[in-house]
Parts: sequence; C-alpha cells; structure tokens
Amino acid sequence: MYNKQMELYEPYQGFIRGNMFPNLYDQYGKIYDVKPMNEQAELLTYLDMFDFALIDLNLYLDVHPENAKMIELYNSFLQEKRNLMKKYEESYGPLTTNGLGLDMVPWSWDNNPWPWEV
Amino acid sequence: MFKYVKKLEYPVNVQRKDLKMAKLLLTQYGGPNGEWAAAMRYLNQRFTMPDERGKALLTDIGTEEMAHVEMIAAMVDQLIQGASVEELEAAGLTPHYVEYDHALFPMDVEGVPFTSAYIEATGDYLADLLSDMAAEQRARVTYENLINVTKDPDLLGPLSFLRQREIVHYTRFKELKEYYEEKYGKQKKNMER
Repeated sequence: MYNKQMELYEPYQGFIRGNMFPNLYDQYGKIYDVKPMNEQAELLTYLDMFDFALIDLNLYLDVHPENAKMIELYNSFLQEKRNLMKKYEESYGPLTTNGLGLDMVPWSWDNNPWPWEV
Repeated sequence: MFKYVKKLEYPVNVQRKDLKMAKLLLTQYGGPNGEWAAAMRYLNQRFTMPDERGKALLTDIGTEEMAHVEMIAAMVDQLIQGASVEELEAAGLTPHYVEYDHALFPMDVEGVPFTSAYIEATGDYLADLLSDMAAEQRARVTYENLINVTKDPDLLGPLSFLRQREIVHYTRFKELKEYYEEKYGKQKKNMER
C-alpha cells in the first residue's frame, strides 16, 4: 500500500514509535502499545495516530517541499483526521473552540476531563 | 496565533504515585534541556531564519514542543496527585512544598529555576541550527536517563515517544542546516554591515 511505496510506517505503528520514518527510527528499549481504557479513549487513539502522522509529515515537508507523493499522502491523512475529529466531537464534545457542540448551554468547552486528567 | 486542541499529542495515564520520578521529570519541564526551553527557543529563533523553509520548520517544531511541555506537565501532575506532606518529605520534596505546594514550578533537577539563558539566540541561522541540533541530542540523552531510572510502563510509553521526537527534530534541523550551507555558503554573511 501507500506506506510501502513511501517507506513509512502505518499511522498506528508510527504513532506508538513517535516516528513515521523507518529509516530514522532509533529503538531504545521496548515499543509500548497505547492501551485505551474505554470507548472514548479508543476513538481518541485513532484521532491521535492520524494527527501524529500529520505532524511528522508536516515537518518532513517543511524541508522537502517538492515531494508531491508526500503532499498527496498528507492530504489523505488530513481527510481521515477530519472525519475522526467530527466523529469524536459529535460524541464527546468540542476539541477546539471552533469544533462541534459549542451551541449547548451550559458552555460545553468547560467540560471535564481536561487532557492532563486521568 | 495559537489555538488550543483539547487533547494531548500522546496519551498520559499514570496510575502510580511516584514523587521521586516527579522531581526528576520536572527537569524536562523547566530545565536546560527541557521542553519549555525548546519551545521558546525555536519559536523565538524563527524570526531570524533566512527563508520560508526555516520559518516553517521552526514554527512547527516549536509548536510541537508546546505539546511536549503539556505531556511532561501531565506526567508530573499525575505522579504527585494526592501526595501528603509526609510523602513529599520522604521524597525530599519538602522545600518544593513550602515554596510551591503542588504547583508545577519550572526548574531543573537540582531545583534551579528556569532561566531565559536556555533559549539561545544568536541571529546567525547556522549557529542557531547547530545549537538546536545539539539541544535535541541533549534532550534525547536526558530522556534515555529518565527511561533508565523507571520501570513504570505508564511513564516509559510517553518517555520513549518523547525521546524519539528528539531524533526526528534533530534530523530535520540537520537537513535544514545542510540546505542553507548549500544555498548560502558555510558562513552567514553579515550583509547589513
């Protein structure tokens, strides 16, 4: 698939490694799976992995702006991320102050949990 | 401008209280090789990058470092949740408690408060990129040392992720530096003089 041609990890494999690029990956100790504890965390993990792939491809493209295949891949990940973000916000509330569910009273942006809370 | 996304870059769910690790981890918050210093360093240096590639890369890596500040803060906060005064004393954290209670005060592992000297800016893009590459390597070493002193998988996952990001950032800075050397020469020319 795309990842073979591009020599990239699949988004989840890249996410748990902290690196989408096998040629740069430097293992230190074990590889740790992300273990979501509930449905919300599971959906968030899907979103996290596409978000991560976008962050890592973004940095690559900043210094390799001519790579058309990588730009195409960036845009396909972006589409996945947008779909997942919409799905997440529909169930669990807004992730940004221009997200979904901000028309509710009381103001849903305040709602717990905040990201640093277990 | 900056907009907040209400999630972490990588999940932090620390179940076990560990005050000694909290004290050690605080250095990656406010120490010389910490994430705060990195974020401020790159977001500040981007103003003197010579072309669009540098402005983009330093903006984007600096922004990612802000997400790392948040991850470290989440780890420290979760590690000290519910700690009593006695427990803080046993971990050698009484001085911290007296001054800061359970607050996350940015300091290094010896308690030295964060200083803007960590930010490093010369106005010379090659010197800055070299210092950024070195900073990423130093932060990688610090993460390896932190990984070596804990067995808690709840910490090892995020710490391994953060360590790996240092390697990717180092590589991108290096690629940018080599591109600039090719494009502008091995030394920055003081054209304004």
